[in-house]
Amino acid sequence: MSRNTLRPLTVKMITSLLRVHRKLSSLNPAVGAVCGVRWSSGLNRPPLLSAAPARALMDEQIIIKGRFLPPHCPVTVCAQLHSDDGDLWQSFAHYNTNADGTVNLASDHSVGGSYLGCEPMGLFWGLEPAPGSREGLRLRKKNVETPYVVHMSLLEGHVSQREEQSVELAVATTERWYMAPGVKRKDIRQNGVVGTLFLPPGPGPFPAMLDMWGMGGGLMEYRSALLASRGYAAFSLAYFGHKDLPGPQTTINVGDAYFKSAFQFLQDHHQICANRVGIIGLSFGVYLTLRMAAHIGVKASCLICINGPVGSVLDLVDADGRCTAFEESSQKHWSFDERGYVSFRDISSPGNFNPENKLKLENISCPLMWVVGEDDMSASSIENADVMEETLKASGKAHLFTRLSYPGAGHLIEPPYSPNARLSLWSIKPVKFTIWGGYPAPHAAAQEDAWRKILDFLDTNLRGFGQS
Amino acid sequence: MDKKKHCVKLSVQPSRALMDEKFIVLVQNAPPGFQMTIHSLHHSEDGHSWEAFGHYTADATGTVNVSQDHSVGGTYSGVEPMGLLWSLRPVPGSKPHLRFRKMNVQTPMEVTISVYQGHQTVFVDQVQLASVLVERWYMAPGVRRIPVTESNLTATLFLPPGPGPFPGVLDLWGGGGQLVEYRSALLASHGFASLALDYLTPKITLKTGKMVENDYFETAYKFLQQHPQVSGSRIAMMGLSFGTTMTLKMAVYSEVMKLSCAVCISGSHIQPVNATVEEIFIMFDTKSEKTRISEENEVIWHDVVLPVPTDPGMKADVGRLQCPLLLIVGEDDQNWAAPESAQDIKEMMEQAGNSHLLTLLSYANTGHLIEPPYTPHTRASRFKPVGSNELLVVLWGGETVAHSRAQEDAWRKTLAFLRENLYSRKNSAVTFTSHL
Repeated sequence: MSRNTLRPLTVKMITSLLRVHRKLSSLNPAVGAVCGVRWSSGLNRPPLLSAAPARALMDEQIIIKGRFLPPHCPVTVCAQLHSDDGDLWQSFAHYNTNADGTVNLASDHSVGGSYLGCEPMGLFWGLEPAPGSREGLRLRKKNVETPYVVHMSLLEGHVSQREEQSVELAVATTERWYMAPGVKRKDIRQNGVVGTLFLPPGPGPFPAMLDMWGMGGGLMEYRSALLASRGYAAFSLAYFGHKDLPGPQTTINVGDAYFKSAFQFLQDHHQICANRVGIIGLSFGVYLTLRMAAHIGVKASCLICINGPVGSVLDLVDADGRCTAFEESSQKHWSFDERGYVSFRDISSPGNFNPENKLKLENISCPLMWVVGEDDMSASSIENADVMEETLKASGKAHLFTRLSYPGAGHLIEPPYSPNARLSLWSIKPVKFTIWGGYPAPHAAAQEDAWRKILDFLDTNLRGFGQS
Repeated sequence: MDKKKHCVKLSVQPSRALMDEKFIVLVQNAPPGFQMTIHSLHHSEDGHSWEAFGHYTADATGTVNVSQDHSVGGTYSGVEPMGLLWSLRPVPGSKPHLRFRKMNVQTPMEVTISVYQGHQTVFVDQVQLASVLVERWYMAPGVRRIPVTESNLTATLFLPPGPGPFPGVLDLWGGGGQLVEYRSALLASHGFASLALDYLTPKITLKTGKMVENDYFETAYKFLQQHPQVSGSRIAMMGLSFGTTMTLKMAVYSEVMKLSCAVCISGSHIQPVNATVEEIFIMFDTKSEKTRISEENEVIWHDVVLPVPTDPGMKADVGRLQCPLLLIVGEDDQNWAAPESAQDIKEMMEQAGNSHLLTLLSYANTGHLIEPPYTPHTRASRFKPVGSNELLVVLWGGETVAHSRAQEDAWRKTLAFLRENLYSRKNSAVTFTSHL
């Protein structure tokens, strides 16, 4: 806190500096002593910490405020939650209270901790595994029907998380939900298609999104749950590494027919508008999205592609039932850093694609939003975006293409306000960590901005009065 | 045309809130000038359906904001941000004389808010244009619900989140008995450790046939006082209806209970001094000849305790009160002579010189059941007082709009009163949590 040197203060500067807490924190030794007296002297009412709304959706900004505090005093705001796996995640930030004894995370600046500056949602995207946690954790909610319960506290002074001597001034509990009230979740195992469908409340029919993730496999529901909470029927589709899919979980055992069925399932659903169905994919899900639109020929209304390839080194199962193991086919493109962590980046380098899998990207005839994290260490995001853009331009379809590019953002551009994992555990045997990339603050900003633009894009293309 | 109306967007913010929090209902993307009905529907725990609705016209931008725009018809009119909740009434065809009370406070009240085309009054066969579900909670995140059975108490303790200690509230309802938790759950959501106490039908009474005595309340008080998460020197007592009778009895006469303040709603100080709880209860003779029956065959017990006695042995001696008292009465209370009692209380305290402790809130056109806001108003409902086998229709009183406004105002002032009196200006070791 003594990083900033005291500067000569003119009367004019004092007024403007009152709100610049970084400068104020340099006065701390004196201020701290005054605060020390103030904390224990009588206050009209005890400090209060509020977070409103207390129950909110994961992608909603909330207002976190401390009130009835002494003015110009150092406080720390902390947040803690337990993941579905039982790991403890926490964050903290240092503030100096205002002249009126308040601190408001929507307008005030953090001068230390998990984030700096004015970050209303920093306590959420700045969450990190608590000291002593298992390595390589990534925060992903498996059960989307229950909320994250976040315990927040206001501590005296500028302290790091939960020091023994820190005095707790106030607490608040908030819930962060993936599902809005009334959203219905349905397990789908139909015509061989494996997935989870989320329907918004109301009579419908609704526009819909088919939602695919990458080669982590399994069935991740949280993005679809949020899309349904925003009024779109959404279908998380499993295609790899799921017990209800055919064949061993180490290979992709489904082919074009599977993805066609999945899209058809949505179109046939009585609560879904058959002519308002789009596709969203991240990582390898991007390739599948493009394959569906350009090769399989589904009539998608719009496409959203996040940090993924236009081609593939992997094959989907072909007509003879031959399938690909991810490790086998891609291993030659893996690279390792000095710590032994693997980057999958080159797997999706356009030069490495299997030419048999090349898609006729110029067939794409619906609006396409392409999201790039410029620090993506897991996919060659920028290069693939360039190929897509050039291909569409060359076929006179540049007007269909929207590119969002975020410096400092990594591979895992997900719905906002959850922490980025710059790297995480990829496999247990042998223990392997993979690098995703992305730095906390720019990645968080990218998630927030991209999600808002994605929702606007869906509003325009799935709800607008345009071509249907 | 069809396509356009189907793009109507409906949102309610926040979609999950406390029972006493406001929300904003917003309709967008309607054609300008589009006539619509915004409708609310709730299926209660006891299997009944309640609805409310307002008639609106979209402005030039195709928007209706219930917090800013006028309803020109329906179950409420004018600018009423929360009209869709407080004007809820049983749907046509329902049994008469229903009362909304949520007994399970661990789940939210679910309300479906929908938009219909045109100004509708019948909704059975209509198709909504859009619909959302809203959750209204009695318990804020982190509030803990703890059943209490020790020392023969039948009670539920609600604790705010955090280590505490918290100021405490002893919370009593009236002559219908049972363990009613919803007000205590809300109080805990506002930072008070609140003990909902069943004192008319506790397990000990059901087992022995004997009504509790003063020491039952004192035991409840001591339970709060000794609780590690309750600040023993900051305990309030709150009662409605017969609960007021008990609250005043304890506040004035108990040697054990040292209350920081008391809140008395829709009740009276009229009671034989030095009597047992049972003797007092019997005094409120529901078969008294002073009972009146309305034209609709509703029972009016308002006159039973009148006239206000002049004999000091028949009224709690409020001149002896040493703690602040908040008195809340509805001027259209048909069940209890609360306004008349309040007048007498005021005079007694003025004569005794402690009237500076009294805050009186008196609401015109407001009935007996002054409860936390934004739930339906019931003018008359079926009621079985403890000890009786008869299910009667009792008139509570109140005109819906005025009564609903009174509830909103009284609740806000009750919370402010509790905060002011339970957090002194002296050194306070009490922590405080709230979502407001």
